[in-house]
Amino acid sequence: MAAAWFRQPSILPGFGLTLGFTTFFLSALVLLPLAALVFKTTSLTWSEFLDVVLDERALASYRLSFGAAFIAAAVNAFFGFIVAWSLVRYDFPGRRLVDALIDLPFALPTAVSGIALATVFSPTGWLGVRLQQLFGVQVAYTWLGVVVALILIGLPFVVRSVQPALVEAQRDLEEAAETLGAGPFTVFRRIILPAVLPALVTGFTMAFARGVGEYGSVVFISGNLPLKTEITPLLIVIKLEQFDYNGAAALGFMMLLVSFLMLFAINLVQSWSRRRHSGPVDSGRRVERRRRPRNQKAGA
Amino acid sequence: MSIVLDQVTKRYQGAPVVNDVSLNVRQGEFLVLLGPSGSGKSTLLRAIAGLTEIDHGRVALHGRDVTHVNSRERHVGFVFQHYALFRHMTIGDNIEFALRVRKVKSAERRARRKELLKLVALEGMDDRLPAQLSGGQQQRVAVARALAHRPEVLLMDEPFGALDAKIREELRRTIRQIQRELDMTTILVTHDQEEAFALADRIGVMHQGRLLECGKPDDLYTRPATRFVSTFLGAANLLLGYRTPRGVRFSSAPMAGGEVPREVVAILRPEEVELCADELAIKSNFVSHGQVEEVLFGGAVERLRVRMASDGPVPVAPGREGSTGQGSLLEVSRTLPEQRDFPVAVGQRVAVGARSIHVLPTPISSFTAVAANEAAARELRDSPLLLTLGTRMQTRVATRIGRFERAPPGMPAIATGPDCAAAAEWHLTHGAVQLLCVPPTAPLPNHVVIHTLDAESRRATLAVAASLLRHVAAEAIYLGIQPAASAESERGAHMRNLLDARSAALADHGLDMRTELRPGVVAEELQKELAAYERSMLVLGTSNPDAIQWDWLKSLLEGTPARPVLIVNSARAEPAADA
Repeated sequence: MAAAWFRQPSILPGFGLTLGFTTFFLSALVLLPLAALVFKTTSLTWSEFLDVVLDERALASYRLSFGAAFIAAAVNAFFGFIVAWSLVRYDFPGRRLVDALIDLPFALPTAVSGIALATVFSPTGWLGVRLQQLFGVQVAYTWLGVVVALILIGLPFVVRSVQPALVEAQRDLEEAAETLGAGPFTVFRRIILPAVLPALVTGFTMAFARGVGEYGSVVFISGNLPLKTEITPLLIVIKLEQFDYNGAAALGFMMLLVSFLMLFAINLVQSWSRRRHSGPVDSGRRVERRRRPRNQKAGA
Repeated sequence: MSIVLDQVTKRYQGAPVVNDVSLNVRQGEFLVLLGPSGSGKSTLLRAIAGLTEIDHGRVALHGRDVTHVNSRERHVGFVFQHYALFRHMTIGDNIEFALRVRKVKSAERRARRKELLKLVALEGMDDRLPAQLSGGQQQRVAVARALAHRPEVLLMDEPFGALDAKIREELRRTIRQIQRELDMTTILVTHDQEEAFALADRIGVMHQGRLLECGKPDDLYTRPATRFVSTFLGAANLLLGYRTPRGVRFSSAPMAGGEVPREVVAILRPEEVELCADELAIKSNFVSHGQVEEVLFGGAVERLRVRMASDGPVPVAPGREGSTGQGSLLEVSRTLPEQRDFPVAVGQRVAVGARSIHVLPTPISSFTAVAANEAAARELRDSPLLLTLGTRMQTRVATRIGRFERAPPGMPAIATGPDCAAAAEWHLTHGAVQLLCVPPTAPLPNHVVIHTLDAESRRATLAVAASLLRHVAAEAIYLGIQPAASAESERGAHMRNLLDARSAALADHGLDMRTELRPGVVAEELQKELAAYERSMLVLGTSNPDAIQWDWLKSLLEGTPARPVLIVNSARAEPAADA
């Protein structure tokens, strides 16, 4: 009865049961381990903690982990949208096959994709050689390799969140815009993009979050040079292998903190944009609004 | 002319969904396209807006040919069934959208927005979002948005479909008012006849991709030309009658005299039926006796079903069997004063009179499958073509075993194959005005070849062909064949004949067909044209069945693969004047 006041009226019973399960599993599997991480970190003194997390090697790894994840997610947002678009809007031979292939990075053990990427992009690899010869670009064992691995891992997140939004976007909206005189570019920018943007941001967020935490596929292609191509999760593993549990916990705590802050920020942006699209707070409109009462007074 | 459609055809996977539609809409006219779902009316509307490309024909708006102009340059306002408002934009921005993409200055935009919101009675709603409005309000916004760029025509695709009855009626009035105020040429698509009557200056009825009839609402109601329109617009009793010198006779009892009576299809509206206690009390024309079988009280009108005497009128529909023994059912509706004057109860015997009937100009009344034995007759009756025509024309397909003295009334049907030519000859010389030779297993035709053996039979042939094509979705081609050896000077006459045929078909029957003049031998050219399409059919006209050269027709009727052949005998065709 305690929950009665916020209970949703539903014909189906089982609210108590489902909420109980939800809280139990969230607590046991998510909150409890995270709390343990924070607790473990507190066994360090402040100066010890700062020494670990502000270490030169740690700082470099943050930059790489978050930077590469961000770049990869941005690239995925762009290409993933195009992939989703072509899958939803066009019918071509092999469309179903391509659609199924999108999920492969999900299903594959990340280590496998890491090894595959390393083979192709390594300086002696099939693509690596050509990139080196043609553009003088080395992908494997540089930060670029990390980005490439994270793009591969993050693509399905963007495609799978944008796809349903595109399916749902009504064709008659585009037709309406067309009969009103809008060209293809305007239709895309003013009609399609606003409809898909929330899904796109969600996809970006998930790809980014996944990229920050990715370990398996990255370690094979990055070369793991300290200060250069060492990602934070790897640094944590190294600390664990040296039985420095407290240090590992401190780095984990930092990752937790930054990830949480970034996700929080993105959520803020998203809800702000949702409010913007569902309410007239646009700067141009605000001006008009302020002007209108004055006009009315003049008219009266 | 504000909107001109010329032979517009749209196919999906080969099948025409809009079939040879030609239509003119005047400036300021409100045209309603009415038809059941799947009749092609929405596709036609989209073709006018440029949202659907057409395969054949022309579309012109205000004298400008826009057939190959994309929709954004066609200057039309389009209102969708589900509003299609931009959900992330305010009402104001929705309405201004067309002006914004045209880079109109903001002051001007604002003035226009205000004007439009006033027009649709939504003043002050500028900053609301579509989701915050009711369905009716959203559709008003959609109308305002479609009018923002001052389009030349307004096109509406079932705009009231998603609204409830009360709001629908209110919005209907608003739209009619706006349309009058702006003198806006408007086409509205609907399947609701009440809506069509309430809004239209003119109604165009569509069925199976064709524009069957187009006219003023009251004309279409009182004087429909087709079975489909007469039953689709309001209720109607379709009856088979026989034309006599004294008018139309409804009795199914055999008539004396050697002539095959000329069969016609008449419609008797339920409200035109008069019920009285006995024959003498009937003030209008007496039809038959009957027995009240069902009485439904429906407020203002009472609906009854009266079972007619077995020798009474024969219904056109339903009944592939026709009526056997039992009489037909007649739908009757009576107003309150009529009910007061003569109250009836179920089981009561009544005399039935008809205040007014309308004889359809349709040349095909009913079918009779003629065969040597019952099994063959039934097989013929159930052949795809005859079955479809019977169902779609809502007409009777009777059977007859063996030959009588005379051909049956209406259109006899015989099977192709051995002895077909002889049977055909017998029917045509024994009073049949039309004859259908049909292969019992042939699929429905999608390519109909029309040819007349002489100029006199053209009128009757075109009438029958048009009637056929209204019920079978097929392409029509009128073939003129010029003997190869004939002089060049005759070519002009042939050409004229062809053009006359085309304009007559279009003007009299709304039938749009291709015409082609070919040099060669009639038999060869027809056979070649029929063989070029897998599902072809021939409509052949003659004014003198005795002069038919049966040898080549025999090879067509008895050869394989056989094609359906409809022979029109205009020697006994209907006189021009229609009572």
